Amino acid sequence: MRPFGANEFVFILAAIRWTVALSLIAFVAGGIAGTGIALLRISLLGPVRALAIGYIQLFQGTPLLMQLFLVYYCLGLFGLRLDAWTAVVIAYSAYAAAFLGEIWRGCLQAVPLGQWEAAKSLALRRYQILRLIIVPQAARIAIPPTVGFLVQLVKATAVASIIGFVEVTRAGQLISNATFEPTIVYPIVAAIYFLLCWPLSLLSRRLERRLDVATHSPLAAH
Amino acid sequence: MTNMLRCLFAACAGLFAVAASAPADAQALDRIIKEKKIRITAQVDSAPFGILDKDNKPTGSEIETARQIAKDLGVELELVQVTGPQRIPALLADRADLAISSLSITTERAKTVWFASPHGALSIVIGGPARTNITGPADLVGKKIGMTRATLEEQEVPKIAPPGTQIVFFDEHAATQQALMTGQVDAIGAAAFLISDLAKRAPQLNITPKFTVATAFYAIAVKPGNFDLLQWVNTWVFVNKNNGMLAKIYETHTGVKLVDLPTF
Amino acid sequence: MTYVFQFGIVFDQFDRMLAGAWLTVQLSIGALLLGLAAATAGAFVLTAGPRWLRAPVTAYVELIRNTPLLIQLYVIFFALPGFGLRLDANAAALAALVINFGAYATEILRAGIQSIPAGQIEAGRALNLTTVQIYRLIVLFPAVKTVFPALASQFVLLMLGSSVVSAISASELTAVSNTLQSTTFRAFEVYIVATLMYLAVAVAFRAAFAAIYWAVFMRERGR
Repeated sequence: MRPFGANEFVFILAAIRWTVALSLIAFVAGGIAGTGIALLRISLLGPVRALAIGYIQLFQGTPLLMQLFLVYYCLGLFGLRLDAWTAVVIAYSAYAAAFLGEIWRGCLQAVPLGQWEAAKSLALRRYQILRLIIVPQAARIAIPPTVGFLVQLVKATAVASIIGFVEVTRAGQLISNATFEPTIVYPIVAAIYFLLCWPLSLLSRRLERRLDVATHSPLAAH
Repeated sequence: MTNMLRCLFAACAGLFAVAASAPADAQALDRIIKEKKIRITAQVDSAPFGILDKDNKPTGSEIETARQIAKDLGVELELVQVTGPQRIPALLADRADLAISSLSITTERAKTVWFASPHGALSIVIGGPARTNITGPADLVGKKIGMTRATLEEQEVPKIAPPGTQIVFFDEHAATQQALMTGQVDAIGAAAFLISDLAKRAPQLNITPKFTVATAFYAIAVKPGNFDLLQWVNTWVFVNKNNGMLAKIYETHTGVKLVDLPTF
Repeated sequence: MTYVFQFGIVFDQFDRMLAGAWLTVQLSIGALLLGLAAATAGAFVLTAGPRWLRAPVTAYVELIRNTPLLIQLYVIFFALPGFGLRLDANAAALAALVINFGAYATEILRAGIQSIPAGQIEAGRALNLTTVQIYRLIVLFPAVKTVFPALASQFVLLMLGSSVVSAISASELTAVSNTLQSTTFRAFEVYIVATLMYLAVAVAFRAAFAAIYWAVFMRERGR
């Protein structure tokens, strides 16, 4: 039986780069697509809005694992020869695009209506209004929930281990099997995710406090 | 309304047509030689066919076979890491050119992949720790038997397990083995080689095979339509059977002499 | 070689998929009820409870919210037996889902409670109510009403996230579709049907929550 030693620990640590790489690439690609989705979602054309709503509802109403299975097992049917990495990146990017699109749509709509009206009274066109006035304000509101979603995305990459993608969770699974030490391995993997996610969560909360004044519950006053 | 329905129907039909017309690669062998790269599936949680050595690099009898094939073809080898249930889908989705991961030859699988002539043999057993008392299929009643999906044991064990047996499925071998090791299942169905490897790695559990469920030959698989690749692989198996290379790889990793291999 | 779609194979086994979907629903609702109970207590501790309890509850919430559900599952199913606690697959799945939902719901409820105007609390104190009574009679109902959409949203996320419990052999919908896929090799048909079933369940739950909101919270005008 192989003891859990330095070699094994390094194997798990080395897999972190795949977790981070997948999270970041999906975040960026999903962010670009999500911008499009958010803008489509507030389009003046009904069918365009319906398309965006349909996309968001689809990805927010089905399990990520199923989305992964469909992309991983079935895209090949459509003549696409994708390696595992590309398939996984596509699936996670599409997933991120839906969630980011919905978050950013909410932020766009959180900009006070007065801003729109003032801009229209200045005879600005719709895309100018968005570009110059609405989006900059919405972007500021959007930062805390976007950072919060990045945390969700990092945690979501664990699901890719189920289709055999070797990131931190799968590395832990393989080492746990090789060494028969699940009581050591899985807490270590949990700690790795915690160290990746907790700083981001704290950052998100601090950014949110800068925008809103925190309220202390008067319930504990006495 | 009917116009919209017609458009919708046409769109769907079009989508299905595109899907159904994904071309098979009749020149797979030429493409592999031209690109100087062959992609072969590799399982790393299925001892002794595919494991991670002490430096955590892939090794094992099937992985060695893959390396030998790449060498004989004169191309670079790319190992595509898969779990058990993905061996065939990876092949069908063109993520791998060959599936060399102890795929037992079954008529069920032959509906979706083309097998070459076998290059090894294995047996499926029910294995468990000493404290689990099983001597035959009748003793399975009331016990939790774990196994991995998309394996020969998944196909064969339910045939001999009497009602009252609780069969649980895991998505890959690492989880099945850990379930046995942590006592989450009473026994597992697995290749005999895997059971003896587990026994060696966890001597305190005293894992032994309880009884044999089935035996099978395993072979290299190609995606249906790749005639040229299949022909080359069959030739390779023939040549290496006769020069003893197959036997050498098999015995080095399994510790067991290779039986006489039939051909199609 | 053309791929011929064969949905008939999936519909032959539809009763099995329904059984899997039913287990998904059961696990989700169980996690909702038990998790909410834990969250009510947890949120109370964080906003009004004894200070020495706040650190452990905060630690629990932060730990669960910053690690993946799958790892929590593996710890409960594979690691806990080493410490003497062995739960079978479905029990481990429920435990993980309860612990997971409880942490998120605690945080959501806490935010709801902190949004209650101070005047309400002070009025309660003026009436000489104890902290627990204030929490129970004055704070809880409006807090839940405020965060109800967030809770409903989190529940749907939980229900969809429950698909990963298939990895520890719990026999819910994903597990059933995996077995079907591995025996028939009809990945596309099986997973499309399973995905649509999940979508249907998600839509049904969202509608149910909307109905509950209307029935419980929108009719309080007369109160």
